[in-house]
Amino acid sequence: MPIVAGMSAQDPYLETRQAVLAKALPNVAFDGWSKAVLAAAIEQAEIDPAMAELAFPHGVDNLIKTYSAAGDAAMLAALPKPDGLKIRARITEAVWQRLLEDGDNIEAARRAAGYLSVPGRQKLAADLLFTSAHLMWRWAGDEATDYNYYSKRLILSGVITATRLYWFDDKSDDFANTRAFLERRIENVMQFEKVKAKAKNWSEKIHGDKAPLDGLIGALAKMRYRQS
Amino acid sequence: MGATNKRLAEMIRVDHAGEHGAVRIYDGQKAVFDKIKGKEKTAQMVAHMADQEQEHLAYFDALITQRDIRPTALGPFWDAAGFALGAATALMGEKAAMACTAAVETEIDAHYAAQLAALADSQDEDDKALAKKIEKFRADEAEHKHTALENGAEDAPAYQTMSRLIRFGCRVAIRASEKI
Repeated sequence: MPIVAGMSAQDPYLETRQAVLAKALPNVAFDGWSKAVLAAAIEQAEIDPAMAELAFPHGVDNLIKTYSAAGDAAMLAALPKPDGLKIRARITEAVWQRLLEDGDNIEAARRAAGYLSVPGRQKLAADLLFTSAHLMWRWAGDEATDYNYYSKRLILSGVITATRLYWFDDKSDDFANTRAFLERRIENVMQFEKVKAKAKNWSEKIHGDKAPLDGLIGALAKMRYRQS
Repeated sequence: MGATNKRLAEMIRVDHAGEHGAVRIYDGQKAVFDKIKGKEKTAQMVAHMADQEQEHLAYFDALITQRDIRPTALGPFWDAAGFALGAATALMGEKAAMACTAAVETEIDAHYAAQLAALADSQDEDDKALAKKIEKFRADEAEHKHTALENGAEDAPAYQTMSRLIRFGCRVAIRASEKI
């Protein structure tokens, strides 16, 4: 197997899926993310059945993935360079922009959330959320390579989900209530980060020079090597 | 994730995990030898190796971010396991600590050799740059192994058994960190 970075081919079925998604979206609002809608969209987009089989091996799951990825891509295209914004503002803007991308067809977004909430689809739902959160953190310039890589994405996944659910029932002008809700959730996360920073301080004390664990190992070392 | 080849991502992920683990093993050994009068020479030797591992880790840290590669989710586990292995072998004795180093570096050497073979035919500039770094790191690791053997690794009690156990642990860690 060649191990050449950059040679990994682009998804060869991306355009096919996007064409089908475009035909499906208007109907999704009425009929949901169903097999029937997918089949009709494939026909409308004039996709060869054999090709459709390759592009949608998992049926509607693939369509939902395409939908989510399109929203992620649109979000990244719409977001400006994050320079000059604090991390908190960057993440708020990213989540907000992600919602706006689905704003033209809220019913499709609501139906997608319904589709993904069905037992057996949690893995797909979590993957799509994780990917969205990952792209947001990358855009924000995050460089975590330890467990924070995961905790940041998981916590943000929670924020996206909660905000999205609130948004579905929000009747306020320009979704002002959703925006306020989002800012409060981000505030919660920042408080959690502060607690984590404190915990880190505390753990550095434990691992540091005069810490209990270090002292214990030092004492064991002296016993082992017979020094007092 | 990202535009990069899946196998290449696995390679960088496991290298990042491995260098992190190595830093923690030497941290554990330092926690013991730094405390003992008369072991300054060993402490210095371990500190030198730890510095080099830290350099390797910094390289893979940057690469993980640049190339958009998911780090291993087992990080916190290797963090604790590495430290415990280092501290435990150092408490067993200087020679046991050296035996641990020799065993770990033997596996890392084989691991890097396999990666270099996989990268050998690539014409991609990024791959070539990575291979060059791995060659340099591999030389550092070989030097650590040499130092360990010179300092009595093979005279450690139950050397064969311990070496086999640690090498087995390293291989499991490598396989797991590629995927998870």
